[in-house]
Amino acid sequence: MSTTPTLVDTTRSEWFKFRTVRASFIGVVTFIFLTIGLAVLITLVIKSNWTHRSAIDRLAFDPVTTSLVGVFFAQFAVGVIGARFITSEYASGAIRSTLASVPRRVHLVLSKVIVLLVIFFVLSEIVVVAAFEIGQAIYKSGHLPTGSLSNSSDLRSVIFAGIYLTMLALIGFGVGLILRTSASTISVYVTLLLIVPIIANFLPSSWQVHFTKFLPSNLGASMMSPQSSTNSFSWGTATIVLVIYTAVIVSAGTFLMTQRDA
Amino acid sequence: MLKIDHLSKRYGATLAVNDLDFEVKPGVVTGFLGPNGSGKSTTMRVIIGLDRPTSGRATINGQTYDQLKAPLREVGALLDAKALDPSRSARNHLRALALANRIPFKRVDEVLEFVGVASVANKKVGGFSLGMSQRLGIAGALLGDPGVLLFDEPVNGLDPEGIRWIRDFFRSLAKEGRTVFVSSHLMSEMAVSADQIIVIGRGKFITSGTVDDLTANAAGTVLVRSSDPSRLTQVLNEAHGVVEPVNDAGLSVAGLTSDQVGEAAFAAGIVVHELTPQRASLEDVFMDLTADSLEYGHRSEAVLP
Repeated sequence: MSTTPTLVDTTRSEWFKFRTVRASFIGVVTFIFLTIGLAVLITLVIKSNWTHRSAIDRLAFDPVTTSLVGVFFAQFAVGVIGARFITSEYASGAIRSTLASVPRRVHLVLSKVIVLLVIFFVLSEIVVVAAFEIGQAIYKSGHLPTGSLSNSSDLRSVIFAGIYLTMLALIGFGVGLILRTSASTISVYVTLLLIVPIIANFLPSSWQVHFTKFLPSNLGASMMSPQSSTNSFSWGTATIVLVIYTAVIVSAGTFLMTQRDA
Repeated sequence: MLKIDHLSKRYGATLAVNDLDFEVKPGVVTGFLGPNGSGKSTTMRVIIGLDRPTSGRATINGQTYDQLKAPLREVGALLDAKALDPSRSARNHLRALALANRIPFKRVDEVLEFVGVASVANKKVGGFSLGMSQRLGIAGALLGDPGVLLFDEPVNGLDPEGIRWIRDFFRSLAKEGRTVFVSSHLMSEMAVSADQIIVIGRGKFITSGTVDDLTANAAGTVLVRSSDPSRLTQVLNEAHGVVEPVNDAGLSVAGLTSDQVGEAAFAAGIVVHELTPQRASLEDVFMDLTADSLEYGHRSEAVLP
């Protein structure tokens, strides 16, 4: 009892809290199921109608990104898990006992960020690799072109799909820090990922080319795609933009938390 | 030692705490008494850093709460027993707190055992009654074996046996040299459980002292029962006493001591059956002190349409 606790101790506490509620487990299972399940579904559909495809379609076929399409569904699961990591504490009032044990807000947020970062990086990488490998196995069984992790471009797509999901978990968490209730946080998060792109579709196309590449889901697509197109960022730039979004949102949430009463 | 240093807290237009300034000393149970809405909980929240003071500060052994390296090892607080994640077990709730403050898990089981919830330690706290949550909250406060303990309305939800237990428990904590600060809106509770009392109303300091100090300053009355209440009333009125009849041929006399009442009755030849000095209860004192400061209360002059 004599030694002074450090960030390591607060992080261990947050990790302990994450793994001792069933909601986390359910969220993670949903995440895995969505990513891998959709990879299986979509690759099977592509395989079954491959013989009906035109030669041009076959040439444009991308075995990597099609196997990773579940990421765009899983992004809702990770965002909700990230958001609930803080909003559930506000909902129950548990935030007050949390802050009594870790009164320095910045310390608390840092510990939670570390936990989310580690959990979602490890989990996302495992899940996207699994989705990729299962998808390629399905393509291979139908004699379709396949990708491979020994190909550096394919490997990069898969790794950055995992990084994309990790950042989105943190964005969900950051919006949760700002809004503090699960319902409003999830609404804003879904709006950001789903509704804003729809609205963007109605913009004049001269605006779209400048604007749509900044949308989180398009950043994700850029991070995963083998080559950059004219209206999108390169995977490197897209990653930097997404990391900046994440940092700004989490920092804003942390600042608000230090200013507000719990 | 807990020090409240010219503390004020404003929420929008409401000044919840208005320049409170006092010290809570170790070794005694200090009661924090005030009507509902008088700023007790706000003061407690500021002490443990949940709310930022508008001005002034609260310190524990000279440091504000967020300066404490391992806060749970210096301050134990029970503010809201239901502020728990309902889906986590009692043991896991305490373990999470223990980890953040480097308190061994062994201590978690000790405090669960001590407050009597060890048998349900693995049950989710969402299913706990208020009384059980209250005990778990006390376990959380004791977790780091702290020198300063804060309890906000701790007897709420406890059964009579639990209330007795908690009173003895506060005394034993104080006897060990700890600072024990307990809020309540129930003066009767404070009268029996606190050594020192601080009274506030509408966020402002009203008075402080021991229970005896607070009641001593208030004027007492004398209860007298006699063979002839109507003549005694006359006699006592002549002696400048203020007399009010009470049940069973008794009279309540203000402004005279029991000696004076007895002598007046003897001089008039009236037989006295009972002569009892009535001390003002803490409750009477409290009602007098806070009469002007009730935020939500009955106002006798209010007329319902």
